[in-house]
Amino acid sequence: MLAIARKDIQAITANVQVWLPMLLVPLILGVGVPLGMVLAFRFGAGAMSPSDVEFALGWVEKLPAGELRTVLDGLPELSQRLIYVSTNYLMAPFFLMIPLMTASVISADSFAGEKERGTLETLLFAPVDMRSLFAGKVLAPFVPAVGLSVFTLLLCTAAVNAAAWPLFGRMIFPQLNWIPLMLLVIPAVALLAILVNVFISARVATFQAAYQLGGMVVLPLLLLIVGQATGVLVFSFPVVLAAGVALLLLDALLLWQVVRRLNRQQLFASQVR
Amino acid sequence: MHMKENPFLEVRHVAKAFDGRPVLSDLSFTVHRGEIVGFIGPNGSGKTTTVRLVNGVLDPDAGEISVGGYDPRADGEAVRRMSGVLTESAGLYMNMTGWENLRFFADLYGVDEPGRADELLEQFGLADAAGRKVGTYSTGMKKRLGLAKAMLHRPDVLFLDEPTNGLDPEGIRMVLEYIRRLNEREGTTVIICSHLLQQLEIVCHRYLFLLEGRVVEQGTLGELEARYFPTVTLEVETDLRLADGQYRGIPARQVGPGRVAFTVPGRGAIPGLLRSLAGEAAVFSAVPVRHDLEALYFKITGGEAGE
Repeated sequence: MLAIARKDIQAITANVQVWLPMLLVPLILGVGVPLGMVLAFRFGAGAMSPSDVEFALGWVEKLPAGELRTVLDGLPELSQRLIYVSTNYLMAPFFLMIPLMTASVISADSFAGEKERGTLETLLFAPVDMRSLFAGKVLAPFVPAVGLSVFTLLLCTAAVNAAAWPLFGRMIFPQLNWIPLMLLVIPAVALLAILVNVFISARVATFQAAYQLGGMVVLPLLLLIVGQATGVLVFSFPVVLAAGVALLLLDALLLWQVVRRLNRQQLFASQVR
Repeated sequence: MHMKENPFLEVRHVAKAFDGRPVLSDLSFTVHRGEIVGFIGPNGSGKTTTVRLVNGVLDPDAGEISVGGYDPRADGEAVRRMSGVLTESAGLYMNMTGWENLRFFADLYGVDEPGRADELLEQFGLADAAGRKVGTYSTGMKKRLGLAKAMLHRPDVLFLDEPTNGLDPEGIRMVLEYIRRLNEREGTTVIICSHLLQQLEIVCHRYLFLLEGRVVEQGTLGELEARYFPTVTLEVETDLRLADGQYRGIPARQVGPGRVAFTVPGRGAIPGLLRSLAGEAAVFSAVPVRHDLEALYFKITGGEAGE
């Protein structure tokens, strides 16, 4: 299992053409966008019209009295409120795109890539049981996906706090709700993307097909983003914690179903296009 | 080399179809331990499918298979552990070096011998190229590396699917020589699937002819020759003048200036023929025409299968 995971990870890291673009999106989403938002609000909050402000913060008014309201009430400046809310709350679902996309791209290649390169046959001829093969294929995308997310978060923390320091005089990001996000939700999302893509990859014959089908995992995430923007869902600590647990349960269910269907002969037969 | 009857691989009445199209219909054969068997047939006759079935990578629709006492369906891992396979496409990772490929497969096969990969690279003349990506290798080098990979775990049985496809005559000879020496030294059972017959006679003890999903003929070269070419054709350099396409009742024909081919019922008739010939005409040389594998192949398959 480790040999397979190691080989797959090496295949990615060895090729600059592969990992450089993969690095770009997280950096833009995870560092560029938040930094841009902070700077925009810091310098441009004053120029915003009342209707814009209403749009950006209006949903906060609808919140039940809770931690977020107290904090916001304690922030005198509009720019402060905007920055606090956008970085700690609005950005969370965007951040989830990072493990999702990284995991998806790598795992789509897991079996479909081997089929395309003609190496799946040799793997199946080896005395490797299906579970080890599968475990190796799941491990390989998981490590870079989570690792990259952590790395981006660290960069983001540094960038955002540095940019917002003059306004707040203290660290404002990340808040407590990010703990379950990093420890539970991000690994769970990565695993979810991997399981879906590996399952598809095992059934289709080409990487392209696997990648296109697997990309549909992004849809629920987009719904989340919309949900939060309209105030339907707020990424507070309890919500994130609950989401993390729910996702892990979903992962366990998927894992059980995929393992049940692991079949050497069927996998071999799926090579025929 | 005389093989004791020691069945190692047994296939009985195996059938396999893909999408309703039958590839193997009633396949039965036995391979004994230590034999090198040539599995001969045209493209699409089911040779590769047989290798896959025997290794448990595909399941048969009907029939039984036993490899070293194991059923590939129930004990697939045990079979795959003792078998080495060289697939038609070699199945190597193009973006990894030769050395990395061997290291990876050594891990996969649980090879515990340090230096085994180096030893094989040396044996196959790939030590210098080991640090290069396999994508840069020539066809011959890929085949050799594929063979090295199949040998990593010292398998009891080797399945070689078209091992000489794409090689030049020198490359073919090198590969076949290696197989012959391996079999002599370690007693490895080898099954070579091929539709290319050149030089195969150097290695194989026995042949199985596969046509339309079943074994239509089998035997050693000598047995097959006796069966399909029961008569011996003797080409004689002589100034004998022929009449009516025969000589003293023996069918004969002029095959060139000063060359006559006589067809005698067997080797035993040769001395008599030569004695009477020498009494009547000048005889400069007499050579029996050998029937090679290719001639047998066309005789057995009826010449339908050509490429």
